[in-house]
Amino acid sequence: MTLSIHDVAEGDALTPMVIVATATVIVAGALATRDFMPVHHDKAYAESQGAPDIFMNILSSNAYCSRFLTDWAGPEALVRRVAIRLGVPVFPNSTVTFTGTVTAVEVATATVEVTLQASTDMGDHLTGTAVLRLPHEAASS
Amino acid sequence: MTSAEPESLAQRLEALVGTPVGPAGPSVGPDPVNQPMIRHWAAAFEDANPAYTDPAWAEASSFGEIVAPPLMLQTWILPTPVITGIAQRGGSPVELEGSGPLGVLDDAGFVGTLASNSEFEIERYLHLGEVVSATTVIESISPEKRTRIGPGHFVSWVTTWRDEANEVVGRQMFRILKFKPELAEP
Repeated sequence: MTLSIHDVAEGDALTPMVIVATATVIVAGALATRDFMPVHHDKAYAESQGAPDIFMNILSSNAYCSRFLTDWAGPEALVRRVAIRLGVPVFPNSTVTFTGTVTAVEVATATVEVTLQASTDMGDHLTGTAVLRLPHEAASS
Repeated sequence: MTSAEPESLAQRLEALVGTPVGPAGPSVGPDPVNQPMIRHWAAAFEDANPAYTDPAWAEASSFGEIVAPPLMLQTWILPTPVITGIAQRGGSPVELEGSGPLGVLDDAGFVGTLASNSEFEIERYLHLGEVVSATTVIESISPEKRTRIGPGHFVSWVTTWRDEANEVVGRQMFRILKFKPELAEP
């Protein structure tokens, strides 16, 4: 079920999404995005680069943003823009909580603007904005 | 060479704006957009959107057929990695020719790299079988700025993905900070 443009209003909260980023989650994301940089799967290499452990790659951070948006809006929502500022890295066994708020709704173009952030206990992993296009009518599927 | 003054760092950085990052020609994905890679991606991120993996649902939906996750764009054009030696190459999936445009900053001591911003714009979703290519061009390089991790230059580049008809399907602005690491506290 996908939200229609008439179902959303400025100030609405997006459904929060929580990721428990184990080492498996981080490595699975790096390889599924075809990012073989050793800092994303090899702890000894990451330490040699001054990091305390492996950390999530940016392609994975973007992937979770798109999942967060369509988990909330529904599968037929079109992701038009995802603009993020990167903050603290995601190391293994961090809990990453995605939250967001609708900041603008334009019915004529069926577009919704939202802010989003992904926070960890070390601070914000990312903050940003996104634009989605929603159907004018509620989808039947 | 003429007897002119050697170029300043600022002049050399200015000259980089508008130049390609990586190969001069477009990067083409080693494989077309395909279901196995999409399924692998959806499983890794536990993204249950049926538009990516359920053909019957997708056919009945406004998409009409399976679509690739929009922010998978980058994944399609990454080169097939040469695993042997990847750590020695600093993580680069393949051998790079020369130091690339950012070598100018490395040579000037701005050896640290920190990713700062990513801004994706999606024009349309891709379908199975499509082949995408991408070109990346340096958009801007800031003057030297003080940051909490040391002095540095913000470098922004824009990658543009095109389909086989040369139509733009998406863009990504990516910004990094190239910085001079400050000495660690004693």
